[in-house]
Amino acid sequence: MPSVPVTECRLIVHPPSSGAWNMAVDEHLLGWTSRSGCCCWRFYQWAEPTLSLGYFQQYAARAEHEASRSCPVVRRASGGGAILHDRELTYSVTVPLDHLLGRRRQWMYDAVHQTLIAVLAMKGIRASLFGSSSLGEERSAEFLCFKRRSAGDVVVAGVKIAGSAQRRSAGAVLQHGSVLLRRSLAAPELPGLCEITGKSLEPEELMQLWRQQVAEALTLRWHADSLSQEEEEGVAGIASEKYGSPSWTEKRRGS
Amino acid sequence: MKPEELLYSKTHEWVAIATDEAGAKVATVGISAFALEALTDLVFVDLPQVGRSVSAGEPFGEIESVKAVSDLYSPVDGEIVEVNSTLVDQLETLSDDPYTSGWFVKIRIADETALSGLMDHAAYQKQCEQEMADE
Repeated sequence: MPSVPVTECRLIVHPPSSGAWNMAVDEHLLGWTSRSGCCCWRFYQWAEPTLSLGYFQQYAARAEHEASRSCPVVRRASGGGAILHDRELTYSVTVPLDHLLGRRRQWMYDAVHQTLIAVLAMKGIRASLFGSSSLGEERSAEFLCFKRRSAGDVVVAGVKIAGSAQRRSAGAVLQHGSVLLRRSLAAPELPGLCEITGKSLEPEELMQLWRQQVAEALTLRWHADSLSQEEEEGVAGIASEKYGSPSWTEKRRGS
Repeated sequence: MKPEELLYSKTHEWVAIATDEAGAKVATVGISAFALEALTDLVFVDLPQVGRSVSAGEPFGEIESVKAVSDLYSPVDGEIVEVNSTLVDQLETLSDDPYTSGWFVKIRIADETALSGLMDHAAYQKQCEQEMADE
């Protein structure tokens, strides 16, 4: 990807929150970026183990994943497979479509994931982009995103530990993704970084290292921020009317 | 349909205008080969129901490629009169034949104002070349 000019970027760090709230914030930020033409990066976590479905996934498919049946579920606006959000760090980034980062889907996945790979290297963990070696690309209809492999996913010792998905609107693109830090009891088939490498990386440390790396590699200048009262009210409306509503979550979409 | 004979929106939808038996103008809408090349590995498309009203510049459907969900935008104001529902299970049709079998919807045009904002093939080619140069 060509070099990106220095861009002012809002940086928001949120404490663990519900699935509906988290997805509502990301949608709000997509709209905010579309209207303002400004970028935003957000780190967040989940108040309890939560299953998020990809936009086109069938709601009924969640019943087949026994370990997460008791977890709350939310449908994302982005594509891909289901994610069990538990012992992970989640990020989202919104950029206007005319920003170099947002123009091509794969650029954005690769650029953000490369910054994570650089951070993991600082911790002595060797990670790579799936598809950048001889592994190639494979298609999969696995229910869980972390059981699938797409070009640009982050793998350690052949195991996927981070992946992202996008929602593209007329004026902006939202990319959000998860870094699996430890195995969750609600998705025991998925090892995290700790189980794969024997090295423990806490969300706070990863956040600190990653934000520095992102700023440097993607030439962003952080502006630490929080949501305004008006934004919080807007997010609450999106959370209750859309992401917290069964008509959104359980709607049959893809086949 | 020949790409040279179509109109195009800035968001890469193509439009073919025809007249139905009642004399109303109907727009057949798809997405261009240029856009499809960027949309690799299509996995899902969601199209509207017949009878739905659509407005120019507003989404009428959605498509997923490489874990990215994008809106499909209506180039005209009107009502959906036909949907190419076979596409949902045969997404390869889009790449194989984007300008004939790969249409999404037919829209009976209610207001022709938006047509003047569409590009001819030569202007659309210039837009595509500019987008490639910007990258």
